[in-house]
Amino acid sequence: MGEATPPRPVLLLADDETAITDQLAPLLERAGFQVLVAHDGAAALRVVETDQPDLVVLDVLMPGIDGREVLRRLRGQGWWNPVLLLTQVGESMERAMALEEGADDYLNKPFDPHELVARLRAVLRRSRRGLPPLASAQQLRSGPLRLDRMSRRAWLGDRELTVTPKASLLLDYLMTHPDELLSRERLLEALWGWDFPASTRAVDNRVAELRRALNDDAVRPRWIETVSGQGYRFVADVVRGS
Amino acid sequence: MRMRWWRSGWKVAAPLAIGFSAALVLWVGQPELEVYLHTSVALLVAEAGLLGATGVLLVLVYRRRLAAATAASATAAAAAERAEHRRFLRRLDHELKNPLTAIRVGLANLVAGAPGGDPTVDGNRPTGTGTAAVGESVRAIDEQILRLSRLVADLRKLAEIGDGPLAGTAVDVGALLREAAAAAEDLPGGNEREIAVSVPQVPWPLPTVSGDRDLLELALRNLVANAVKYSGPGASVELRGFEENGLVVVEVADSGIGVPADEIPYVWDELVRGRAARSLPGSGLGLALTRTIVALHAGGYELRSRPGAGTVVRLRLPVRRS
Repeated sequence: MGEATPPRPVLLLADDETAITDQLAPLLERAGFQVLVAHDGAAALRVVETDQPDLVVLDVLMPGIDGREVLRRLRGQGWWNPVLLLTQVGESMERAMALEEGADDYLNKPFDPHELVARLRAVLRRSRRGLPPLASAQQLRSGPLRLDRMSRRAWLGDRELTVTPKASLLLDYLMTHPDELLSRERLLEALWGWDFPASTRAVDNRVAELRRALNDDAVRPRWIETVSGQGYRFVADVVRGS
Repeated sequence: MRMRWWRSGWKVAAPLAIGFSAALVLWVGQPELEVYLHTSVALLVAEAGLLGATGVLLVLVYRRRLAAATAASATAAAAAERAEHRRFLRRLDHELKNPLTAIRVGLANLVAGAPGGDPTVDGNRPTGTGTAAVGESVRAIDEQILRLSRLVADLRKLAEIGDGPLAGTAVDVGALLREAAAAAEDLPGGNEREIAVSVPQVPWPLPTVSGDRDLLELALRNLVANAVKYSGPGASVELRGFEENGLVVVEVADSGIGVPADEIPYVWDELVRGRAARSLPGSGLGLALTRTIVALHAGGYELRSRPGAGTVVRLRLPVRRS
């Protein structure tokens, strides 16, 4: 994070497991964040109220008010700073809920701490201070491409795209993480809920399906770029729909 | 079954009671009333035969009902057992993931605390900064934590897949087999196996099955990966697809090392690794995953093998009704 000339972003870490917060807080401090810790949902809400952190890491399973409810209340109050949920979003229903609640990203336990730092930096980069994140938008637009996130329907101009449910989930994830390099493994984990070694081709198949539907050229892509040997990146600008 | 005998006892008792009480009334009121019946012996024998047939029929119906009830309760018990098993996997995951997270982060701290360690470098791995021996130990611990984390994640996902819900799209199993064969070339040793695919095109192509393409692909890839892994250079691997009695049958056969007969009943269970497989890398979850996926698609699975000759795994999936 270089020399401490820019102010260190304030991060709230909310997890009821002290074994985790005791280890994670110093690591995040060294990664350049100023870390506040809360051990339950009510405390997390209080800290947000008084200290206005720049971003929040929320464990979902906490006694009392759980992480999901904390996020709902924060968004309900119009508090739009980035929130990363620590949860197993393997179940498709949970994944859909996490998207609908407006979490900026989520990560399964046990996670690679470096992966957590990388994602925190990415959500911070994406966040437009005080403005609602793309992840909380009902509709997203990128040029003529329009996505209704609740109904999972997409249009290219006037033409509605017919894609499989998995492909529309992938489009949603790509559009809410624009300009971010997303590895196949990460997409598998986030959207399929499993990452068995034999399965990264599943991601390629769904990307190919999206490209066919979007008429996107893999060589000179307008939307989805292949980063050779690494993954995919949504390269077009994304804005909130009306 | 024993309780039901009691409850339906009145059905037998009622006609008996009616018969005996009517007999009592007649015996007291009209003791001289008699009926003489004339019948040919032939008719009597025929009636006896009819009676016998009815008796046998009743016994047959009863036995069939008994068997159906037993089977139903066995199926229900098996389903309950699998549900309990999935709940156990989920509890296990839940209890292991927090300690594992803490250990992983703690180790990263340990490395960062060593002179020269820099946690802000993404992907920073133990570099052996203290002494070479410490660096080596840290690297080994890191690797094992990763292995445990992956195992926990895989077990959880196994439980999740078993819970469904299932996307009911048409899946072309023939295409999956051809893709799996092509992908097998990239596996370690894959280009040293003779891999052949046979899927019928005439007089009509292999029908589609209904389900989740990604999961079925995963199931087949696992079988093909096993066939390549448990065979040597020059071995044959055959992928076959055909239709039989309204089922799409998939076979993955190899001329590999085979599975000993006493291990065959257990190969589909989680974390089971054969004696011969211990020296080869693997999680012991591949076939468990395949079984879970096939069961989710209302299909069947079977493994036949002869040590030294090879193995054939057969999956049966219901044809998609159009």
